[in-house]
Amino acid sequence: MVAVAQHPNIQLMTMAEVVNVDGYIGNFKVTIKKRAKYVDWDLCTGCGTCMEKCPTKKIPDAFEMEMGQTTAVRFLYPQAVPGKPFIDAEHCTKLLNGKCGVCEKVCPTKAIRYDDKDEIVTEDIGAIVMATGYDLFEWEKAYGEYGYGMYPDVVTSLHFERLSSSSGPTGGKIQRPSDGKIPDSVAFIKCVGSRDDTKGKSYCSRACCMYTAKHAYQLKDKHPDSDAYVFYMDVRATGKGYEEFYMRSQKAGAKYIRGRVSKIYPKGDKLVLKTEDTLLSKPMEVEVDMVVLATAMVPAEGAKDLAKIVGFTTDKDGFFQEAHPKLQPVETFSAGVYLAGTCQGPKDIPDTVAQASAAAVKVLGLFAKNELATEPMISEVDYNKCSGCEFCVPICPYKAISIKQLAERYHGQQINRRVADINPSLCQGCGACLPACRTTAITLKGFTDEQLVAEVDALCL
Amino acid sequence: MSIEENKEYTPKIIVFACNWCTYAAADLAGLNHLEYPASVRIIRTPCSGRMDPNLVLRAFNRGADGVLLSG
Amino acid sequence: MKRRVGVFVCECGTNIASVVDTEKVAAAAKNMPGVIFATNYKYMCSDPGQELIKNAIKEHGLQQVVVASCSPRMHEKTFRKAVEDGGLNPYMFEMANIREQNSWVHKDREEATQKAEDLVRMAVSKVLKHKPLKIATIPITKRALVIGGGIAGMQTALDIAEAGHKVLLVEKEASIGGKMSQIDKTFPTMDCAA
Ligand SMILES: Cc1cc2nc3c(=O)[nH]c(=O)nc-3n(C[C@H](O)[C@H](O)[C@H](O)COP(=O)(O)OP(=O)(O)OC[C@H]3O[C@@H](n4cnc5c(N)ncnc54)[C@H](O)[C@@H]3O)c2cc1C
Ligand code: SF4
Ligand code: SF4
Ligand code: SF4
Repeated sequence: MVAVAQHPNIQLMTMAEVVNVDGYIGNFKVTIKKRAKYVDWDLCTGCGTCMEKCPTKKIPDAFEMEMGQTTAVRFLYPQAVPGKPFIDAEHCTKLLNGKCGVCEKVCPTKAIRYDDKDEIVTEDIGAIVMATGYDLFEWEKAYGEYGYGMYPDVVTSLHFERLSSSSGPTGGKIQRPSDGKIPDSVAFIKCVGSRDDTKGKSYCSRACCMYTAKHAYQLKDKHPDSDAYVFYMDVRATGKGYEEFYMRSQKAGAKYIRGRVSKIYPKGDKLVLKTEDTLLSKPMEVEVDMVVLATAMVPAEGAKDLAKIVGFTTDKDGFFQEAHPKLQPVETFSAGVYLAGTCQGPKDIPDTVAQASAAAVKVLGLFAKNELATEPMISEVDYNKCSGCEFCVPICPYKAISIKQLAERYHGQQINRRVADINPSLCQGCGACLPACRTTAITLKGFTDEQLVAEVDALCL
Repeated sequence: MSIEENKEYTPKIIVFACNWCTYAAADLAGLNHLEYPASVRIIRTPCSGRMDPNLVLRAFNRGADGVLLSG
Repeated sequence: MKRRVGVFVCECGTNIASVVDTEKVAAAAKNMPGVIFATNYKYMCSDPGQELIKNAIKEHGLQQVVVASCSPRMHEKTFRKAVEDGGLNPYMFEMANIREQNSWVHKDREEATQKAEDLVRMAVSKVLKHKPLKIATIPITKRALVIGGGIAGMQTALDIAEAGHKVLLVEKEASIGGKMSQIDKTFPTMDCAA
């Protein structure tokens, strides 16, 4: 992470989002909104005095999955990169109602800016790599049988990561959220929202089998007397060294039970899981102190809108669509736009890194050239025939067609006529616009109507 | 094509094949020497989106017995 | 555009010639409208094969070229280059796929030869309607945008930066790192995530 921040060729823009993309491969104009941070990062040294002194200390910390509390002026997490704080405008009392102002007083470099505003910048860009990652499936909305999120000790795997992290809210002790007790037994449930058409997603999330094996191992490692039950449909340990890792978890004492948990209900301070051991065809009930749900990966919030802005498509689940599943796995249908990581589909870190390097190579391949030859077999509009009906505009998968005004003389008068115009750098020559054009104003060079008809005639005669 | 007396009737099939998938697949069939009737004739298109219904009608009009549009 | 088509039928060693009678196809091509020259040759994609095209363009004043050989997905670029070197616009060219879509998938010599003739006729009819096309060029801004600063975005940014190009990394949160920064240790090696 630090290597990224320190690299002289990398410019970081955090708290920023892309709001518009114009142009085409090699020549994009990208508009970015930088949200107000209320701290001047050029002046701030990252000393942390503001955070220490901020009196608004009881904000549920999203980074800690709300299992810890944080301040209004804060670092996203202690090792944040860049190591600079921002003010959370939704909670800062100074920004909300003008009261406080402590951080401004204590900041030794006078870096606090309560009047900071969102800023819009436009950047010239040659290639775009999408790497917006994933979010976790909102199981609370779908799984009534697991309590709709009402039982505090039914948590997700990401909660478990924070609990077992030495920099987390419990300092690395696995304690259950409700009362801080070290659980005597933990149930891990896999495929929550994955491989479940009715409540969640049809696909497999690919990383949860392995991180659940990791969690069960971590529990046994830290608290050898605790029981770890893993409820599963299948164990998919297909990567290099993965099967061995799963075995290691079982050797450490994790108990794997094949079955879907049909219900969780509280009993005293315990949770009861109803399930069936499908290998023994026996219904069973298990009492545990805590339940960890391995929830599905879903596309990052706003991914669909972002794909629209940049100009490519998403798949049925909202992940970014690659140009070809086997042959062009990191390219999109938009030239100069590439994909890396879980934004394209669920995957673990090794696959993510491999794909990220592949995307980099595609960019470098482009940058190795000084100019781009445009494919001449593209479509062209005959303005004389175009009626300006705009039928072709939404058809083009590459957003290559726009409407322009054509100044003409008509009966001695100057008039403006609307016609379709195809951008030769964006058009990929697919020809989808041709059948849409009622006036046959569009020709696709190299595959004209005349040529295809000549071919048909030559074969049929 | 006229139907010759001594030959079995073989329908003339015109295939409009997308350059990126079907045309490539037909090449792959070749690479693997997967045999199919010689009465199949393939026309390369840049994408199935290019296909105009008029082309299909034209093919039938000119005596094609079947048209396969694949992409 | 004058109609002066040259047709070159490739034997591809025996890949084509063992099933298709290439000599017969070339002879039939000579009678197709617009064709003023036709021949068959052992390997059209070889250097002497390409020379054959270049020389014929000059000698016979060809305006359009058809090569009947393998798939255009294989050698379209090669032959366009030869046509260009011969002094024509590279897009005054068409290929007939008589290997992948003919000699490799059919056994009956007569049928395959008939089909090859049809495919050549198709290519000739098409090439006659070709117009010279121009390749334009556009400049490239050598600066990449990476959207999202998780492990994927960081790795991509580093790789591009290491190769000497500028990268703008846009992250919506206040820190890069993504989900990995919340993860304690990672499988399968159990090293720390950050
Ligand atoms: C509980 C759990 C444990 C795991 N354990 C392991 C493990 O041990 N080993 C392993 O290999 N894998 C593990 N994984 C999988 C691992 O988290 C992912 O493979 C990896 O983090 C994917 O990286 P990414 O960069 O694609 O996505 P992310 O980490 O999600 O990063 C995406 C980044 O993009 C940003 N972003 C999103 N939208 C925008 C936008 N519109 N504009 C700008 N920025 C945006 C996000 O803020 C984020 O920083 C685990 C997953 C979970 C849920
Ligand atoms: S002004 Fe806001 S951020 Fe600063 S110390 Fe007060 S509450 Fe915290
Ligand atoms: S990776 Fe494993 S736990 Fe996750 S969805 Fe697939 S099978 Fe289920
Ligand atoms: S040919 Fe395809 S890419 Fe080009 S303008 Fe028409 S629809 Fe768009």
